[in-house]
Amino acid sequence: MAERLGNRLHELRTERGLTQAGLAEMVEVSRKTINTVENGIFVPSTLLALKIARALGLPVEEIFSLED
Amino acid sequence: MTDIETADRLTRRRARMFPVLALMFIIQQASFFIGRIEEGARTVDHVKISAWLVLSIALLLALTTGGSWFKSAKVRELMNDEVTRANRTEAFRVGFLGTMTAAIGLYFVSMFEAVDGREAIHILMTIGIAAALLRFGFLERRALRDG
Repeated sequence: MAERLGNRLHELRTERGLTQAGLAEMVEVSRKTINTVENGIFVPSTLLALKIARALGLPVEEIFSLED
Repeated sequence: MTDIETADRLTRRRARMFPVLALMFIIQQASFFIGRIEEGARTVDHVKISAWLVLSIALLLALTTGGSWFKSAKVRELMNDEVTRANRTEAFRVGFLGTMTAAIGLYFVSMFEAVDGREAIHILMTIGIAAALLRFGFLERRALRDG
């Protein structure tokens, strides 16, 4: 069975009133990267996942989870 | 305009330009081969080949480095982040497969008709570069699509 990486990035970002570009600025990546991670097109590296988690002030497992 | 916005604008432009460049590249090669079959080898063909080589190297460099060479290091870094690098790797994979498929095709063609070595290289490079450019452009456009 194929596993997917689920994420609550869109929800958590908008809760904080952040735009994709705003979060990208905090993480120091392009807006495209935030967009692709949010939409599940791109599976981020551990490094990028940790940087996103740090920018949002949350543990990484609250943002990302395994989906069957 | 912030570095993020500049990188975003340039990334969009690159995603639009690469497929267009790939198509222009293919059309240019097609016209070269059609002319060659009709009229045979001429001095002007050597000029065309040189132009093709320069264009091939420029496209390879753009694909490999991401282009925008005169922008700041920060903007270039943003334009070459994790997603871009993953898309580039996938584009190179497709380019490699295209080249290998064309090589197999040329191998069979050479059983029935003599294929000049330079022409074979011409065809293989054109297919490899064009396939990689098209794939990279497609992936970048998909990555930039909202929602």
